[in-house]
Amino acid sequence: MIFDNILFAACTVLMPPLMIGVIRKTKARLQNRMGARFEQPFHDLLKLFKKHQTISKTTTWIFQLSSAMNISVMLIAACILPWLSFKPHFAGDDLFLLLYLFALLKYSTLLSAFDCGSPFGAMAASREAHVSLLLEPAIFVILVSLGFIAKSTSLGAIFDFSTSCTVYYLPVWLSAAVGLFLCSLAELSRMPVDDPNTHLELTMIHEAMILENSGKNLALIEYAHAIRLTVLYGLCVQCLLHALTFFTHAQHLVLDPTSLTVLSVAGPFAFAVLTALIESTLVKLQWRRVPEFIAYALTMSMFASASALIGGSYASHHL
Amino acid sequence: MPLAATLLDATIIFFLLTCLVATLWRGSLKHNYMAAALCAGGLALLFSAASGWHLQYTWQAAWPIFLAVAPLSNHIDALSSLFVALIALATISISFFSPGYLQHLEKKCNLRLYWVLVFFFIIGMVGVIVAANAITFLLFWEIVALASALLIASDLASNECKRAAFIYLGATRISTTLLIGAFLWLHALSGNWDFNTWNLSHHATVIPAAMIMVALCIKGGVWPFHSWLPYAHPAAPAPVSALMSGCMIKMSIYAIIRLLIMPGLSSPILIFALLVLGVISAFWGILYALMQNDLKCLLAYSSIENMGIILIGISLSLIANYYNMPLLAALALAGALFHTINHGLFKCLLFLAAGAIDVCAHTRNLERVGGLGKKMPGTMILFTIGTLAVCSLPPLNGFSSKWLIYQSLFRLACANQSLILSGVCFVSIGVLALVSGLALACFTKATGIIFLGRSRSSDSDHATECTPFMLAGQAIPAVACVGLGVSTPWILSKLQSICSLVYANAPSVEPLYTLRMDFVAFSLVFLVTILYVFWLNGRKSEIRSYSTWDCGAGHLSGRMQGTATSFADTFAMTFAPLLQYHLTSVIGGKDRRHFPESISVETAVTQLLETRFYGPIAKFFRWLGKCMQIMQAGSVHLYLSYILFTLVALMLAGLIVQR
Repeated sequence: MIFDNILFAACTVLMPPLMIGVIRKTKARLQNRMGARFEQPFHDLLKLFKKHQTISKTTTWIFQLSSAMNISVMLIAACILPWLSFKPHFAGDDLFLLLYLFALLKYSTLLSAFDCGSPFGAMAASREAHVSLLLEPAIFVILVSLGFIAKSTSLGAIFDFSTSCTVYYLPVWLSAAVGLFLCSLAELSRMPVDDPNTHLELTMIHEAMILENSGKNLALIEYAHAIRLTVLYGLCVQCLLHALTFFTHAQHLVLDPTSLTVLSVAGPFAFAVLTALIESTLVKLQWRRVPEFIAYALTMSMFASASALIGGSYASHHL
Repeated sequence: MPLAATLLDATIIFFLLTCLVATLWRGSLKHNYMAAALCAGGLALLFSAASGWHLQYTWQAAWPIFLAVAPLSNHIDALSSLFVALIALATISISFFSPGYLQHLEKKCNLRLYWVLVFFFIIGMVGVIVAANAITFLLFWEIVALASALLIASDLASNECKRAAFIYLGATRISTTLLIGAFLWLHALSGNWDFNTWNLSHHATVIPAAMIMVALCIKGGVWPFHSWLPYAHPAAPAPVSALMSGCMIKMSIYAIIRLLIMPGLSSPILIFALLVLGVISAFWGILYALMQNDLKCLLAYSSIENMGIILIGISLSLIANYYNMPLLAALALAGALFHTINHGLFKCLLFLAAGAIDVCAHTRNLERVGGLGKKMPGTMILFTIGTLAVCSLPPLNGFSSKWLIYQSLFRLACANQSLILSGVCFVSIGVLALVSGLALACFTKATGIIFLGRSRSSDSDHATECTPFMLAGQAIPAVACVGLGVSTPWILSKLQSICSLVYANAPSVEPLYTLRMDFVAFSLVFLVTILYVFWLNGRKSEIRSYSTWDCGAGHLSGRMQGTATSFADTFAMTFAPLLQYHLTSVIGGKDRRHFPESISVETAVTQLLETRFYGPIAKFFRWLGKCMQIMQAGSVHLYLSYILFTLVALMLAGLIVQR
């Protein structure tokens, strides 16, 4: 138990920069470049932590508070979100609380974008708010469908491995994993929606919002963003692992805790590689076509909810 | 007579006497004295609500006061105490806020009349809440309607206010007519005017119940009857808007509980209609709120959204009761009541802050403000608290109440009653998620545009912070918002007495509240403070102040920023068919692609409901009026023949009836 807690803390601190490193390395290799080492993001962050800040005269207290808020909310979210199978249980880990914590993070980021009085910030804030507005129903419905299976809104209970997945709920877990992955791509400003590598202010979403941040301030935001990436991919992995319990159960091979631990730590890195593949092969969508991409996520969420409802009624008839 | 009842009576008499003195007073009226009277009354109401919580007491006015067919009868219990407490808090807040605010209105309005009307407005609202029979209810309902209509028309010089008052009066007339009809009907069925003798569980009462529902939806600004609300709220002075949005539209929530739920409404069609209206109101209200550039209009539309959310809670409670799930019924009712209180508080705060911005920056048009955060730091903090609460972000009170409503939707979906019901719950959760996304966009836009960035006009350049008393008026609801957010279990234990009043033997809902908001709030504040104070601002020498990145173009002017319209444009494009959104931009100049000399952009949003639904109805009545004009030819002979024909027709009718 204590070992689990220590491992969880280590993963929370170390995994996010490493994930960014893996994405960058894979992308570089796919472009026939050597690329920086995996641990480069650590050095980047440390450098930023040491640097002094340059802050616009236009800003108010909201600007710096926002980056503090970003990292604090993400740390609390990482504690209540079951993105690793061995995460210690926290009381009150409610799914609605989690989603509104993400909203709180977005609120402070959007305000800090407004705070500099830069035209880019306001434009990016508008786009970010629009993307997250369209994503919100998809994420809510997916998580509520998963909650429907467990008949509870506690995330710990939903992602609990004590029972294996039955055939009724297999489609729910699978579509939830796909839907959440599509949502995370849009939510994290990854490729089909936003290109994290361009530095053209007019096309960026996330980068344009944090254009004015520098030094420690920027480090906190970058770190929070990396944690967000890791926990969201971790959540997708947990959904897939739950789907996997169905297959192992069928062959009377229940997943043992050790393999679960290994899979849940390795899983996010697999998703990072997948992200790099997507970013190397796809092009960024035109802004007006972003809603079409999000519609796929929404469709997956509808599929998840419909299969949860139908699977639920079948399960109650057969038991 | 218990203390609560005595205090209520005393407050009403005290307010009436104050009105009398204010009317008869020859000299100039001191706003401070009137505000002190208001504050004293508010405190008395608060005490009366606190002491009346555990009571169930009915009392009647003494002999000379009698309302023709029924006595002036009052009743106080936990439900009415809750709403009296809300009114009391709003009253105390506006009593602090008003004197500073009214100084700016001296030339525009008749302030003596204003004060008298405000007192009557509050008397009316308290009277509606404690009314025990239909006649008393109607009397105070009309006092509220007339006082608020006159208050909307305070600034008679402006055509906007006249039009708003006219539309509002029209809406209240329809509402009152429906109520009178329904009350007469129910009286005919039960033979009694007292609310506690009415029973709506019978089939014969579906139509009067529907009439009451429509009447209350009109008064509460629920879609599709909300059209009056975006006119009325912005036209009224800020303290009145705060009272209207914070308390007056909550009267209909109170009345829905008292007149529909407590007599046992059980018609599935009406319950389902309530849910649908709630869902549509929530979405419609916040979508239009996002498009507004007038701060008060934006807040008014957001009230429609929140009324929708409350209605969702109430209809869920009724559905759960219909399927005989007492725990869920109590949970949803507690959620709806809690959201009612929360919305009353944060909307009161936001409207007062809007008033402060209006008088300090001389405009509330979002295109003309900007960068007020440095000039009005206190208002900014309070407004930010208000927007955090209205976006229902943790750890504030808005989140707790919305969580209860989400939780009821979720539990209803899991209850295995029917696949369709579960599906409806899932859809409602999806829509509520969309609504909260829109609310987030709407209120970050408001806060960001008003307080952050640079000033967009000379009006907001010269803005200064409002008076400390005006700030105190906004701080009272703000403190209540934060307090209620972290003390939700306590509130739930208090709301329990209302739940068991409405549904006999309602089980305790407090154990269902599994969130640890105190813990979340504490860790959030702790982490943020540590990082902000010690890490980011630890060494001031390490922070360099510089100008915002301007692409090397030189000085950034106030106009080189995102505007409210450009922020909303992204959303408007997505919902263009619903909003009837049109954007036309003209770029002029010789080489207009690269060196434009003039750029003009025009956007238009049409109220779909007004143009497509209410427009044709109004047109029909105008046409009908034109047709009727033929009868009024101006000739005495014709009029005399009308009288003759009427007499003959009446005699014939009498003969037929006698047969």
